Amino acid sequence: MASPMEQFEVHPIIPIEVGGLDISFTNASLWMVIVVAVTALFLTMGASSRRLVPTRMQSIAELSYVFIADMIRSAAGTEGLKFFPFIFTLFMFVLFANLIGLLPPIGFHPFTVTSHIAVTFSLAFFVFLMVIFVGLWRHGLGFFSLFAPKVPFVMLIILIPIEVVSFLSRPISLSVRLFANMLAGHTMLAVFGTFVVALASAGGALSFLSIAPLLAITAVSALEFLIAFLQAYVFAILTCIYLNDALHLHEHH
Amino acid sequence: MAAAAQETIEGTAEPAESAGLPQMNVETFPSQIFWLVVTFGLLFVVLSKMTLPRIAASLADRKQRIEGDLGAAEAARQGAADAQTAYKTALAQARGRANNLADENRKRVTGEIDKLKATADAQAQSAMATAEQRIAAERTKAKTHIRSSAAEAAADIVERLIGAKITSDEAVKAVDAAETKRG
Repeated sequence: MASPMEQFEVHPIIPIEVGGLDISFTNASLWMVIVVAVTALFLTMGASSRRLVPTRMQSIAELSYVFIADMIRSAAGTEGLKFFPFIFTLFMFVLFANLIGLLPPIGFHPFTVTSHIAVTFSLAFFVFLMVIFVGLWRHGLGFFSLFAPKVPFVMLIILIPIEVVSFLSRPISLSVRLFANMLAGHTMLAVFGTFVVALASAGGALSFLSIAPLLAITAVSALEFLIAFLQAYVFAILTCIYLNDALHLHEHH
Repeated sequence: MAAAAQETIEGTAEPAESAGLPQMNVETFPSQIFWLVVTFGLLFVVLSKMTLPRIAASLADRKQRIEGDLGAAEAARQGAADAQTAYKTALAQARGRANNLADENRKRVTGEIDKLKATADAQAQSAMATAEQRIAAERTKAKTHIRSSAAEAAADIVERLIGAKITSDEAVKAVDAAETKRG
């Protein structure tokens, strides 16, 4: 029986090495290409029928657009809309990666791109850098007042280190949250799936017991769909909230 | 070189798997990050240059169309209200004019009737006056006849009683005297 961790393994398909760095085209890369292709195709198809009364695909594309735009506006204000294309891409990439990873194995096992810390941390770290650049560009050195809330001076001795640590831990919490959710969900599905097969092939009364993990895997699958959407949303909205800090420092709009 | 790279990955993949999570296999990080940048960048370019502007245009079109239709509906409603106001004004004007005309007519007719009545009255008055004059003249004439007849009768009577002939002038004088004495 395969390990439940096997689904996360990365195998090279086309080995590539540039300057001593191994950048092979792997199954992970293949699924990134699939995720991007599906996302682009899905949304572009929806966008290409520009009817007054939208078609189903058009409706999905337009609702996604409005949904993300509203989210940015509410979390980061109208100025945040400058980052709309990036946040839209981020949300869609994470959402489609999460959803495509949930496809049941049919001959081949779908690979969940977002179940890898390398991927989620890269995205989170990019967001982190973007927030710092936007903050410095908008407020100059005044951006660092983000670490000093308006409190009595003595409190700052304690608060500034706390704020700095919390700021620095943002990319870690952002990336680990998504990665751990995907890892745990997919591991759980694999484990329950293994139980179903093991019990069913055990024979006798145990075969009937296999209904229990089957029901469980059904429920967990439904939950995983929710988590797939929720984690994409959380990733996107936290990005908006961090951007809001960079744009407006401590003031609330 | 390619085969060597594959060997390196496979060579390290086995111990990594036994050691723990495939996610912690640092050997795969450069490849993952490189392909993430490539694919994510591509998706960003496609979405921001092609897909999102189209969706935005479609949404803007719909918004514009809806606003245009609402505007047209509002204009039509305004037009209907204007037409109604104009109709009411015209109706009120016409009614006023009709009232004026009726008033004028009534006054004119009344005036004409009064005038005609006055003329008729005047005619009747003059006719009456003429008749009265004629009556008075007839009366005077009759009186004169009566005097001359009385004088003749008196002369005849005097002749028969005393056999004296008197002239008609004397008889008329006597009649007048007798009349004056009687009052």
